[in-house]
Amino acid sequence: MKPDFYVLSWNDLLVSLVFIAFSIFLIKKWKLGLEQTLLIGTLRTFVQLTLMGYVLTWFFDQQHWAFMLTLLIIMIIIASYEGTRRQKNEIPHFFSAMLVALLGSAILILGTILLFILDVEPWHSPYAAIPIGGMIIGNGLNSTSLTANRFIGELRHREQEIETLLALGATPKLAVYDAMKASIHAALIPNINAMMTVGLVQLPGVMTGQILAGIDPIIAVRYQIMIMYMWFTTATMANMIMLAIVYRQFFTSKMQLRRELLRDNA
Amino acid sequence: MKNDLIFQLTNVSLEVNNLSILREINFKVYKGEFLALIGASGAGKSSLLRMFNALSSPTKGQITFRNQDIDTDIQSLRMNVGILFQNPVVFAGSVKENLLAAGRWKQNIAQTLDHELIHSLEQVGLNNIELKQNAKDLSGGEQQRLALARTLINHPQVLLLDEPTSNLDPKLARSIMDLINKLRLELQLTVIAVSHDHLLMRRYAERVILLSQGLIVGDGSFEVLDREQALEKAGLLESEITDET
Repeated sequence: MKPDFYVLSWNDLLVSLVFIAFSIFLIKKWKLGLEQTLLIGTLRTFVQLTLMGYVLTWFFDQQHWAFMLTLLIIMIIIASYEGTRRQKNEIPHFFSAMLVALLGSAILILGTILLFILDVEPWHSPYAAIPIGGMIIGNGLNSTSLTANRFIGELRHREQEIETLLALGATPKLAVYDAMKASIHAALIPNINAMMTVGLVQLPGVMTGQILAGIDPIIAVRYQIMIMYMWFTTATMANMIMLAIVYRQFFTSKMQLRRELLRDNA
Repeated sequence: MKNDLIFQLTNVSLEVNNLSILREINFKVYKGEFLALIGASGAGKSSLLRMFNALSSPTKGQITFRNQDIDTDIQSLRMNVGILFQNPVVFAGSVKENLLAAGRWKQNIAQTLDHELIHSLEQVGLNNIELKQNAKDLSGGEQQRLALARTLINHPQVLLLDEPTSNLDPKLARSIMDLINKLRLELQLTVIAVSHDHLLMRRYAERVILLSQGLIVGDGSFEVLDREQALEKAGLLESEITDET
């Protein structure tokens, strides 16, 4: 018999602490010295997510479009800050590049999903906008952080190649074109690989969650397909917007490569 | 003579991280000259050479190219002023793709005919190389010749050489320098070469600018500089003795 859905009570959650107890047992046996850190992690997971649950419940009760937009913009600002903090190399105006990249991809992709795919009524319903927006921003953040790091690596590796092209009369954009191509390529391969193996090797988290919550697997699958397409497009768009801004920072107004930015300052 | 003026440097100085690399450099370069920039390492000669192609700019002073400020049209300047680096850059792909890299931003690139490319290869002595050959498979000397052919496709008026033969054996180095000198005469090129190897430069350079710690300490033919013992004073011959021991 197919249950409507599985409700997880607080008591059930207490039972799941068995996992942690088992881990602590193993950690102690192997003398890894991670018990205290794990206990803090366990507590923080519980407190942070529980609080977030209440916060989300409150958020979802809000019906004004300005509220949803403000929240999304705050999420984008935090993600851009996080992306800048994660960057090991100095990239001038990287925060602004992230902001524009995430904002641009969020507006286009979230807008399309809300208005044309899910036909959400009203379009600003936080039930759809916040979780999907969160996925877009989070995925965009991860992908652009990797791409920016890779791009610096490519610039360092290709420094002389780039100067050779500039010296021949190429514009900065053409001189770094191969470096941009290689960085985006490297960033998109994991996404393509995920699309190749999804459903064969593992079931994605969102789909698993929906099935556990009692949603028909066929419907859950449709959501997952949309999410996979959305992920890929987010990565492509956010990376391209970010690189289109970032590559310019590595050149002077006289089309000279700013070699000082490529010296290792890590 | 005024029309033959290619470069004019006026009070050119360069500072990097508060370190003075070049100080108050003044000289003119005329059409058809083979000018060698000589100096011990760290004398500032490569930094100076890069400025002729606007790959870097002076912190003070002015450089003109054909009586116009060098920054007026940087892309056109760079097509007129080719540069060969110490390590030739060869892009992944065929010889043809490498030759076309020079003009891939030009709209008419599709119309560049194969026979034009083959001519440019022949110009640099790469007679037995096919256009479809993988460029990375070429030897060091061939790669340097390919880089030269790629530069010549732009029909430059000036050729800058940043120690382009220092990684080659002496015989090969001489044959490439002979080729460059021959092309200079045929195509009426102006050549500005940076080298620490003044013995090699003696064969080709009509004029030498001697740099020491960012300053010009000699300007003239090798005969004049030898009479003034300028190379010894710039510490060049000493470093040579040290290198040999």
